[in-house]
Amino acid sequence: QFIPSQPPPPRRPTVFAEQNESSEEQQFRKLFQQLAGDDMEVSPAELMNIMNRIVSRHPDLKTDGFSIENCRSMVAVMDSDSTGKLGFHEFKYLWNNIKKWQGVYKAYDADRSGTISATELPGAFKAAGFPLNDALYQMIIRRYSDEGGNMDFDNYIGCLVRLDAMCRAFQTLDKDQDGTIKVNIQEWLQLTMYS
Amino acid sequence: MSGIASKIQHQRALAAGVGSNYNAVKYLGQDFEALRQQCLQSGKLFCDDTFPAHPTVLGFRELAPNSSKTRGVTWKRPTELTSSPQFIVGGATRTDICQGALGDCWLLAAIASLTLNEEILARVVPHGQSFQDNYAGIFHFQFWQFGEWVEVVIDDRLPVKDGELVFVHSAQGNEFWSALLEKAYAKLNGCYEALSGGTTTEGFEDFTGGIAEVYELRRPHPQLFKIISKALQTGSLLGCSIDITSSAETEAVTSQKLVKGHAYSLTGAEEVDYRGRPEKLIRIRNPWGQVEWTGPWSDNSREWSQISAGEKSRLSNKSEDGEFWMSFNDFLRHYSRVEICNLTPDALTSDRFKKWDLSRFEGNWRRGSTAGGCRNYPTTFWTNPQYVIKLDEADDDPDDNEVGCSFLVGLIQKNRRRQRKMGEDMHTIGFAIYEIPKECIGQKVVHLNKDFFSRNQSKARSETFINLREVCNRFKLPPGEYLVVPSTFEPNKDADFCLRVFAEKHAETIEMDDKIDAKLDETKITEADIDAKFRGLFNQLAGEDSEISAFELRTILNKVVSKRTDVKTDGFSLDTCRNMVNLLDQDGSAKLGLVEFKILWTKIDRYLNIFRKLDVDRSGTMSSHEMRVAIEEAGFSLNNALLQSIVARYSDQDLTIDFDNFVGCLIRLESMFRIFKTLSKDQNGEVQFTLKQWLNITML
Repeated sequence: QFIPSQPPPPRRPTVFAEQNESSEEQQFRKLFQQLAGDDMEVSPAELMNIMNRIVSRHPDLKTDGFSIENCRSMVAVMDSDSTGKLGFHEFKYLWNNIKKWQGVYKAYDADRSGTISATELPGAFKAAGFPLNDALYQMIIRRYSDEGGNMDFDNYIGCLVRLDAMCRAFQTLDKDQDGTIKVNIQEWLQLTMYS
Repeated sequence: MSGIASKIQHQRALAAGVGSNYNAVKYLGQDFEALRQQCLQSGKLFCDDTFPAHPTVLGFRELAPNSSKTRGVTWKRPTELTSSPQFIVGGATRTDICQGALGDCWLLAAIASLTLNEEILARVVPHGQSFQDNYAGIFHFQFWQFGEWVEVVIDDRLPVKDGELVFVHSAQGNEFWSALLEKAYAKLNGCYEALSGGTTTEGFEDFTGGIAEVYELRRPHPQLFKIISKALQTGSLLGCSIDITSSAETEAVTSQKLVKGHAYSLTGAEEVDYRGRPEKLIRIRNPWGQVEWTGPWSDNSREWSQISAGEKSRLSNKSEDGEFWMSFNDFLRHYSRVEICNLTPDALTSDRFKKWDLSRFEGNWRRGSTAGGCRNYPTTFWTNPQYVIKLDEADDDPDDNEVGCSFLVGLIQKNRRRQRKMGEDMHTIGFAIYEIPKECIGQKVVHLNKDFFSRNQSKARSETFINLREVCNRFKLPPGEYLVVPSTFEPNKDADFCLRVFAEKHAETIEMDDKIDAKLDETKITEADIDAKFRGLFNQLAGEDSEISAFELRTILNKVVSKRTDVKTDGFSLDTCRNMVNLLDQDGSAKLGLVEFKILWTKIDRYLNIFRKLDVDRSGTMSSHEMRVAIEEAGFSLNNALLQSIVARYSDQDLTIDFDNFVGCLIRLESMFRIFKTLSKDQNGEVQFTLKQWLNITML
């Protein structure tokens, strides 16, 4: 049996990054610490709790609640080191996007139904920063909306998080910016299985 | 925020040579040439916003803003401190480095050793920098960080108190390369105080990319003098120190003027003829540039008059420059430790030096998949990453008569996540080495399984498991093939590591990992194959439109699994069912027809049998470490990276995979293999996408 040696004292400072932050960042870090718990990382279950707490305060956002599957998928597309959790910067990015997209959702829900209908969707997605062609909008509606073609809030956020991540993945891999990317089997499976 | 794609892009860049000394990674994306050009054109001296001339970059505790040590500190450029500042005068020499108000003697000892080898120094301190030609207040340096060379850009504003540099300075006071190098290293580590207290080996490795060994002198290695002489000849960097027994002893000076708890450089080893017998001598340098040993063989000691005039003039050294000789026996008696940094072949272009054979691997331990812990944990130990070393040539001049191959194994844990997870400590790490049995040699590359480790004893292992940045040990084993298994002490600790193997003679090291492959079931199902009973069931479920939607599928699946007591599940989510429908739907209707549903049903049935077979303890769930076996059983072969992704994506917080996730995972895996196969037309095994094609598939 192995026996671990006595640990040497810790050396590297960790307070430095905190001291170099703006007051806005410091406030967000406090919020993050509350949400993320001791390990300072957000798991899919923690994300689900956070999201469901948010929507419960907004009766005008129609949703049957964020499912754990939806949250797992959101974490996966944003996590770069396959730990299954989001760190501070990744979560901050997600948080800011959710705030922005929530505003778009309300603005484009023209009939105040609490959902985004098939006709409202292209406008909403364009406003959210994703001008796509009709075929892609049709595919997205089939995949993420209910049988009547209406998209509720949890599906809307899940879809946009994924769309944003996939566009970014494409940009990242298109190093020479020629509009195409090439992936081998390992890269393909990593990108698609972890999403 | 591009997720796994950023990791893939990084791996591609590494494969293309980024991170070598000639093509270093640009720290914070700063490009030295471009920034210097901008400054020259605008006529302004460079001011680095990323490491500002501000109290916070000094430190956080003793050097915190407004502390007594930092009060009155101002920032000045060398041009404001002296009329004719120089970057390097007459080449870098050991006397250019005198310690300031910072406990970074370990770093200075490493820098001092660096000046002994011009080539090595030029890798860290690139040529073509001065305060005269193209001066724009900007300088750059390169450091080795966990397997990659990183270029760090700084401005030349240095902390000054009472007209003097606060930290490192040259003895002459007008030479600035060492002070600027220290600033660049401080930037890389966050602040100056971060450099306080460390080991010389860390500095050695960061300046050379070499691999460091530590020799304790309490029970000295019988061949130590030979090892030291050989190391000096092969261009290695050496340091030595005296232990302290309490922190109060730090930098305490003994009656013979040796400093305790202080890092010295070891700069020479000679044998002289003294009173008719050979005497072994060691040359040591104090990075303070002063305070020298006063015992035998010190400057001006009487021992020097007892040796030949030729040897005396070759070795003797009278000035108070911090450097002195002492006998090897005195050295063993007074000092506690020698640290040797062996250099990589690319650092040694000269034929004069004997070169090591180097292999390097990047790896990760991930909770639930490849973080198996040490062999105290036999159920998970085998899931750790595995590497094979093939040793085929024995050493030239064995110290004893034993035939063997000498090699070093160094395991470094990377602290990439330092920024992300504040306050994360080092993990306790180590490795074990197994002999690969004769019958397995030359087999196709496969990850060795649990059986192998239960049947075989380890042949060697790291001296200890410890929570240091690096664990490194020297081994001598007979020619053959060996398996190295690096691990954290306890299982399920997330970390990234770099494993390096240095061999005296030729050695080949490869990662043992499974090939990515799938045996896809190609049996076709047509309507004719479907019996009346299933057809009846389908019609009943599908309703009027004769198709099953994701919503209907969820209802059906949950009704079925809720009746079973042998599998655990929190129910199939709508997302999982949508996934299944989308992946099996061939006509784009977003619904499943009779045949499509039959295919899905057959698959789920097959996966159910695998799940039950592997759930040995009848818990109704599967442990994530068993996923490798289950996936293999289902006809897939995946490597470590993919298993890590799958476990991170599909396992629960308690590291188990329940039935709905298991099915969802395998169905997606099969579909992704099929899509790739369909799209892959070129011979390189790559698939090309436009953005539209990409979104069409990945948004499904």
